[in-house]
Amino acid sequence: MPQQLAIIVLVDVGNALATSTLEGNTYLFDNMKLHGSENQGTGELVTAIHGSYWSDGSQASEQVLNWLPYSLGSVPPTVPRGYEADRARQSDEEALAELHDLADRSSAAGADAAGELNRIRRKTGTRLKTTRRTSGRMSGAKILDVTGQVVAEDGTDAHSHPAPVITDIYGEAVDAKIMYPAEYGSPDMVTDGWYWSATVDTSRPGTYAYMMRVQLHKLAQVNGELRWEPVNLTYSSALKISSEPRRNAFTKAGVGPLPIPHTPPGQGA
Amino acid sequence: MTTKAKPRETAAKRPISITAVVDAVGALAAGDTQGHLYMYDTNRAGGSTGFGTEELRTRARRGDVLLWNCLALECEAYVSIENILIDPEVCEPVRKVYPGTDVSYWTGTVKKTGPEPVAYRIAFKLGTRDEPITATLSSSLVGQ
Repeated sequence: MPQQLAIIVLVDVGNALATSTLEGNTYLFDNMKLHGSENQGTGELVTAIHGSYWSDGSQASEQVLNWLPYSLGSVPPTVPRGYEADRARQSDEEALAELHDLADRSSAAGADAAGELNRIRRKTGTRLKTTRRTSGRMSGAKILDVTGQVVAEDGTDAHSHPAPVITDIYGEAVDAKIMYPAEYGSPDMVTDGWYWSATVDTSRPGTYAYMMRVQLHKLAQVNGELRWEPVNLTYSSALKISSEPRRNAFTKAGVGPLPIPHTPPGQGA
Repeated sequence: MTTKAKPRETAAKRPISITAVVDAVGALAAGDTQGHLYMYDTNRAGGSTGFGTEELRTRARRGDVLLWNCLALECEAYVSIENILIDPEVCEPVRKVYPGTDVSYWTGTVKKTGPEPVAYRIAFKLGTRDEPITATLSSSLVGQ
């Protein structure tokens, strides 16, 4: 089983929402520069996949790809899983503690209870409205700004965009049965448990395009409530499958058999 | 130089986020960042250029808040910004963490910009290596 490949889909979500396109707002990476992937870090990535073959020329194994969509300029994916929900709960707990404290002090003369309540209300931020249909990963969350602070309704100008969500992978490479993509669930730390993965048939060299359906979320005020409105866009990329030999960066053995001794260590002649 | 007061100056204005994508494995193997660093910001509409290169030119003006963070190309690798080497008369970035985590970002307000771009370099902590690696090439802030 060869190393799995990750394809990072980094989206400038703010600009993509403003211009209603992913073109020019999407940057792709994979970790296969060594194998000849082209245009790393641009919108035109071509992912190089080398086949692996037995000495008789038959295919030895498939390649597995994983896609990781990230939002440029948002709270990074390296914060703990469920960060939005954690921050919402922390801000509730802080507000309760402050309310408790205010109740103790309000009997004292001169306390500006109304002003204090207002301040606490602002600190608790704005909870997003979710319906049964739109609940799930965002339910119960509050709006965070790009530094991870919960923000009040009038402070949402700097809100952090949720990470893009891939909802489908299709197109030439799928139609030609070059790759078999599907969405999987796992305790993955960086994608909230859902990710798209594909198995690639490496036995038919060639360049094959594929499309990604990507859902972004736009903060919208509907009937006085804030909610994330889904915006569906598409983006294309390509796989270049070749029959070139794999390189092994660990052994640096280059092309040819791995440097494995014919006899186990210690039993040599 | 006079700057016109913007109507939403007091509201929480969106900072210009600058993100460094680092191929930590490549940079650690080479001992430098050349060919292993990709810089981006969120101000393309404002005129920033050099996306995906090691020499990002961020369009920024006095009063803009900048926020630097980084991403590792391999999600298992550790990458963080150790320092940002920039003329303190232009910007004095400070390290902060996302609340409740030890994931850091750097932020600072642009104090002034001139006709010339202001170059800066980022020093990264990568993997378990003790010594930070400073970017070989400079990114810059470009005034109006």
